Amino acid sequence: MKVAVVVQRYGAELNGGAELHARYVAEHLARHVDVEVLTTCATDYITWENKLAPGVEMVHGIPVRRFPVSRVRDVDDFGRRSEVVFDERHSIASELAWLRSEGPTSPKLVSYLRRHGTAYDYCIFFSYRYYHAFHGIRVAGSRALLVPTAERDPVLGLRIFQDSFRAVRAVMYNSFEERALINAVADNEQIPGVVVGIGSEVNAQPEPSRFRQTSGIDGPTVVYVGRIDENKGCRELFEYFQRYTRVSRALTLVLIGKAIISIPDHPQIRHLGFVSDQEKFDAMAAADALIMPSYYESLSMVTLEAWALGRPVLANGRCDVLCGQCTRSNAGLYYESYEEFAETLHTILSNQPLREALGRNGRTYFNTHYTWPVIEQKYLDMLDRLEHEDTGNRKRTTALPGWFARRRRDQPPARHVVDQLPSGPAVSTLGGA
Amino acid sequence: MMSEFTIQADNVDVTQIMEQIRQRIREKRGADYTEQQIRDLASVKLERFLDPRQVRSDLVDHYRKLESPGWLDPIEQAAPIPAPEAIAFDEETIYVSSRGGRLLRFARRLLNPLLRLFFNPDPIIFAMARQAEINTWTLQLLQRQTDLVERVNKQFERVGKKFAAREDLDTLNYEVLNNLVVEMTRLAVDMKNHKMRVESVAGRLDFDERRARALESVVQNRSTPQDDETDETAASGAPPSPARTRRRRRRSRRRSGGPSSSSSDGGSVRTEATSSPATGSNPQPTAPTDASSSSAVVDTAQSPGVAESGDHTPAPDDIPSTASDHDDQ
Repeated sequence: MKVAVVVQRYGAELNGGAELHARYVAEHLARHVDVEVLTTCATDYITWENKLAPGVEMVHGIPVRRFPVSRVRDVDDFGRRSEVVFDERHSIASELAWLRSEGPTSPKLVSYLRRHGTAYDYCIFFSYRYYHAFHGIRVAGSRALLVPTAERDPVLGLRIFQDSFRAVRAVMYNSFEERALINAVADNEQIPGVVVGIGSEVNAQPEPSRFRQTSGIDGPTVVYVGRIDENKGCRELFEYFQRYTRVSRALTLVLIGKAIISIPDHPQIRHLGFVSDQEKFDAMAAADALIMPSYYESLSMVTLEAWALGRPVLANGRCDVLCGQCTRSNAGLYYESYEEFAETLHTILSNQPLREALGRNGRTYFNTHYTWPVIEQKYLDMLDRLEHEDTGNRKRTTALPGWFARRRRDQPPARHVVDQLPSGPAVSTLGGA
Repeated sequence: MMSEFTIQADNVDVTQIMEQIRQRIREKRGADYTEQQIRDLASVKLERFLDPRQVRSDLVDHYRKLESPGWLDPIEQAAPIPAPEAIAFDEETIYVSSRGGRLLRFARRLLNPLLRLFFNPDPIIFAMARQAEINTWTLQLLQRQTDLVERVNKQFERVGKKFAAREDLDTLNYEVLNNLVVEMTRLAVDMKNHKMRVESVAGRLDFDERRARALESVVQNRSTPQDDETDETAASGAPPSPARTRRRRRRSRRRSGGPSSSSSDGGSVRTEATSSPATGSNPQPTAPTDASSSSAVVDTAQSPGVAESGDHTPAPDDIPSTASDHDDQ
């Protein structure tokens, strides 16, 4: 069986969520099936500028076929088009123009899929919101699987993507919340889907003492790992933490990751920048808890890594996925205000039996649902199911409207569509991931 | 600041923990409302917090429902058509020549009897004369009406301006009233919270006062001559006072294995200086209590470690010890 993994960027050095997700899946599936990666030459997700050479190269033993991006992203144009489709009544043509503006616009990748798509038994598309996935799914037809990596943001409300969710053979969801969102917006319950998520490569032997020695940090510690950005809830985290330090003089917040926003100059906040995986796991193991303040997550890998290390998580309760994960795993608390932040953090820090119990639950949850053998098996089961399933002659993709209909401004603002979707954590009785 | 609560660590239920935490927060805050909740309360449930006889609960709705009077458009007049010239008509008019010739006028008059043979022109002359008068009167009337419309239009403009100003004022009034209602609700909610807090503080104060009185009574009881009381009690056969009963109970507890087998320095010092009233080895009456001795008792009473020290000396009473020191001196 030959499988193509189609993703917007790919590389050993890329750490973006969906891209890393794709690489892990490709590398682990390669142990069971023949895998080839189709991607672009871009490395920067803002501009999509061609930085890598087109053609085939090997990355960790996986052949990677790169295609050039035809145009870099014009940020101003993209912002204007985003306002139109998110906040105003608009047309299908506006959404398609928004998609082109978002990129990475790589017609050659789509053309390759059109000409050579039959060489692959299945094409696994990552990230529904990009050009490659939308057009690739239309070309691949019944061979397409989708890993949506969808979040609760206005993009999900765009009309053009509803067809993508219905056109694929199967959807590999990251969480129950993501599945509930997509089912609600696209009415695609009939499409085979499974909540898979992603495994994580966690060092089984982290050394907390090494972190404490090298960093000189002693006493109670909480850690945040990830891009230090406003979109990730870091500004709110800084505000809450600084308020909390008025009553807790010994607690240290350790930040690991690239800083996009300025970090407050505070003696109890330590920014370590970008560190190696070993250092990251050492820091997480040394911490009393991981804080995950992000509002939007389709699946937080860092959260899973913390649980793999037996550390409790304090998550932003306004993120349905994180809240649902904490509830299902019984391995983390969550907050929606400063009062809750302070109370939950204090509870975790002051109650060692609780902390240890949450950590144990997290480790069990990770081992049950997010170790790679489990993830690999879910993918293989789905491929096997599709292999034996009768595809029929049903035309899965629906044609785009005609010239006039495409320009009719009959689509509601995407933000309104998303606002009307059900919210809150999905409480699963399946005991799933 | 933070709350503590017991958690069965082996059986963690995050939902339950979060519910406990949120319950704690609610208790700390008291009745706490978000901005939206306050607005909701202000719009529909004012009567819960405010006197409905004084404030209309649907005040905001009432103002919202008020329709804007809109602009009063002045009556538009079409451009005035020039009025035809009024013609004077009398009985001579039909004989007059347009060129003013007297000869022609004379000839027409001369032939008039001949004309009357065919028809009588007098009614026509009369009607035409009357019509000319009517025309003149109508023109004057129209002119007056036009003047009136112009004046009315000017009035309309002035009234329209007043309405516009009033509409702005209404908007402002609505804003002010809306804010007032919201703030009144907020204040009412705050007042309820403060009332509850005051009641709580008053309760605590009452409790503290009663406790202080109880402690003072203890001090007073301990300050009185114990042996006199003992003798009087024994002689009268009356039951011992409650304070004395308490002391005996305490001593008996200690003899039967009290918790403090080791004595602190303070305890031993007091023990050496103190003679237990129970043993009767120090029958002297105690000195009058002063402020310092009184405070010492209160402190001791509040510190279980000091009160229970000195197992081998079953007299924990601090007043007598202080009094003995005075006596020794």
